[in-house]
Amino acid sequence: MHISRRRLGVYAVALAFAIVMNFVLPRLMPGSPVDAMIAQLGPRATPAAIEAIKARFGAVDQPLLSQFVDYLKGLATLDLGVSVKYYPQTVTQVLGRSEIWTSFLVVTAIIFSLCVGVVLGAVAAWRRGGRFDTIVSPLAVIMIAIPPVIIALTTLFVFAVSLQWFPVGYAYDPNLDPAFNFTFIGSVFAHAILPVLTLSPYLIGEFQTTMRSSMISVLGEDYVTMGRAKGLSHRAVMFSYGARNAMLPVLTNLALMLGAVFGGSIVTEIVFNYPGLGLTLYTASITRDYPVIQGQLLLMTLATLGANLLVDIIYGLVDPRLREASE
Amino acid sequence: MGQHKSVNRIVSARAGWAAATALAALMAWGTGAASAAEAVLTMHIEEQTSWVQNFNPFDLAGRRQSTMDFIYEPLVIFNAQDGGKPVWRLATGYKFSDDLKSITYELRPGVKWSDGQPLTSADVKYTIDLMLKNAALDIVGVGQTVASVDAPSPTEVKINLKAINSDFPESIGDLPVVPEHIWKDVADPVAFKNDKPIGSGPMTELRRFTPQVYEQCRNPNYWDAASLHVDCLRLPQISGNDQMLATLPEGKMDWIGSFIPEIDKTFVALDADHNGYWQPPAETVAFQMNFKSTNPGNLEAYKDLNFRHAFSLAMDRTAMVDIAGFGYPVVNLHASGLPPRFESWRNKDAEGAKDEFMGFDTAKANKILDDAGYKKGADGFRTTPSGKPIAFPVIVPNGWTDWIDAVQIAVEGLRAAGINASVATPEYEQWQKQILDGSFEVVMNSRADGATPFRGYYQSLSTNYGGRITSAPSRYSDPKLDALFDQYSKVTSDDDHKKIFNEIQVMIADGFPVVPVFNGPTWYQYSSKRFAGWVTDKDPVMNPEDHDNNRMRLMHLLRLKPVQ
Repeated sequence: MHISRRRLGVYAVALAFAIVMNFVLPRLMPGSPVDAMIAQLGPRATPAAIEAIKARFGAVDQPLLSQFVDYLKGLATLDLGVSVKYYPQTVTQVLGRSEIWTSFLVVTAIIFSLCVGVVLGAVAAWRRGGRFDTIVSPLAVIMIAIPPVIIALTTLFVFAVSLQWFPVGYAYDPNLDPAFNFTFIGSVFAHAILPVLTLSPYLIGEFQTTMRSSMISVLGEDYVTMGRAKGLSHRAVMFSYGARNAMLPVLTNLALMLGAVFGGSIVTEIVFNYPGLGLTLYTASITRDYPVIQGQLLLMTLATLGANLLVDIIYGLVDPRLREASE
Repeated sequence: MGQHKSVNRIVSARAGWAAATALAALMAWGTGAASAAEAVLTMHIEEQTSWVQNFNPFDLAGRRQSTMDFIYEPLVIFNAQDGGKPVWRLATGYKFSDDLKSITYELRPGVKWSDGQPLTSADVKYTIDLMLKNAALDIVGVGQTVASVDAPSPTEVKINLKAINSDFPESIGDLPVVPEHIWKDVADPVAFKNDKPIGSGPMTELRRFTPQVYEQCRNPNYWDAASLHVDCLRLPQISGNDQMLATLPEGKMDWIGSFIPEIDKTFVALDADHNGYWQPPAETVAFQMNFKSTNPGNLEAYKDLNFRHAFSLAMDRTAMVDIAGFGYPVVNLHASGLPPRFESWRNKDAEGAKDEFMGFDTAKANKILDDAGYKKGADGFRTTPSGKPIAFPVIVPNGWTDWIDAVQIAVEGLRAAGINASVATPEYEQWQKQILDGSFEVVMNSRADGATPFRGYYQSLSTNYGGRITSAPSRYSDPKLDALFDQYSKVTSDDDHKKIFNEIQVMIADGFPVVPVFNGPTWYQYSSKRFAGWVTDKDPVMNPEDHDNNRMRLMHLLRLKPVQ
């Protein structure tokens, strides 16, 4: 391990804070799961129906303190409870089936954007002030600024609804059963293209800008000048000497951005009816499904903290100076 | 994905595009071909982000909304569009005893459950007893109406009532009869998901169930199989209106129950030969004032008939329908507020002259208020005749954009008449809570109708229901009206019911407790590409909606035939 004890302490405090907030935040919303359920019945909410639902879910409206104790007990035993909305399914089941899809979307989007963003940023820095740089770099700022919801709705309307090149929803063709064959995997990819393209612009913009500025400072280093003096090719200097060392800030950024990517995936999943965590969180919020919201937020917190931890570790591996410093 | 070029041969039309495009098209092609041999009807009833395999008919909020009717056939359906006449299903008739204290249902002989076991009176008795024992299952309120149940013979069920109640058959219209031989072994019928349902309806067999789509197919033992020409119902998961709009161009949906804005452009125009809709007016939407308000000025105004008349004259109903409602609702210009679907119940004596305050006439509204002593203050707003200020928010749920616009129009009208009204948009749950705890001032709300107009009026305007349900916010209390309601539930003949309801209409038109504005639409769209027999405005024989609150959807399904 290349991480100081103090750093681990920070992680522990962040986790504890998140655990408390996960409990408090959903309950600050007006209304309760029972109210939401009655509300959902609409015209079917006869007096008898309302009474039946209250009798069925009355246990949900318990005093806050005992809810909190139950919540902590559940966490300690890794039991996240039972969903109210999808009763009697457990939160683990509900999150389990959506978690795969969000991970798939987010990871694909990150890998894709990382490749594109890093290369664009490196090239732009290499020829800074050139024509490529003057076009691509402002574009990155624009891409960061456009909210995912606009990209999602536009791509959905243009490519899925009007042109019908891509499906308008789902993670795969509902007629197919999950199987390890070309048709199914192809279907998964076809359904992921628009969501991934929606998530990517922000990421590409961020990676590209970070890469460009970090690359510029690296290119001023003596060893780069020395590489050039040795007569190495442009490409070798750019990637082996420049880009490799300029990557570090990009990695830090990646961990920090994970939260933003999850946020973007909520909107994207709602627009594309993609069965991931975002859509689940959205439904759970509307129906005041506290156990699912808690579990979901916990999962996201763990993912973000985990990613930061991972970056701390990778940092040590990539940058020998840090490794030595901590030893 | 660029290397998977091999699929391109299947879709030559878009071969120029990358393999991803080809895949998308391939999938569309695959879906279309599936229904060649059997008649699969694709329908949309409810919006969910993921299907959960729950067919427990007693779990109102969690059950898939294709559970009633299609899996659990009703005893009898009352057709509101046909004067509330019964359509006999599992039952073939019922009779009240002479003292009206019990009712005996005659069951259809020879009906079988989908597993081949006979359906008898024991099942009906078992179901009602189960609900009596467990309040969480009592979705039709038998706990309040039923004393006990007997099964004198396999085809007879005798239900002993707690009180005389001629409305009883309608009150158990949503009762699902479940098979005793299955449910007696269920340990916890509340948590039971019933994921492999055994039912009595036409579509009991679950062929496929995934979070994104499920298929419900023909019951091999259906008693009315001769009328059933649809082999399977297919229900793709759709999460909301926007998703539905995006799906429509694919042309795969047959029976839809969605709000589709600009429907002629966004739906009909996609396939003008086949796509159609009929959205007949449903429940009456009315402004209701809180007759138990704690604000003395407001209360004084609400209780004054002149004020309510002026309120009504300040309503630009046409603008509400055209601007706020996309033209889908229909204005209600009757002081009695009778919904158009109950045309056969209409009492002409409650209309005509009594509707004189139902137009939009700001000048007249101002004159009525002036004459009644509502003086305008320096701020331009009126006070009550006794000099108290009037100021109230009209609450409407946040996000209900069409309703918010309608309330906005109403508030503009009221302010033009010197009434200090405003709009408040709490969250739906808060809105509901304010109605139930009586802390609101004025609300625009609809009421749920039954197969006859009686229920809607009774539940929204009787002292008994005031404030207990969201359709009864006004807490109106009129002993004479209560007496009429009571009288209605103690007679059984149609003629007597009509006579009493005529009086109810007159009394409400005169008393004018609420301000009716318009009737909201039902949501029904169809495609005749694959199926024929759809109910249309030219043949308005039933409520055409496929939603769970419309039992007639079963009869609608039985009308449909695949197009050759």
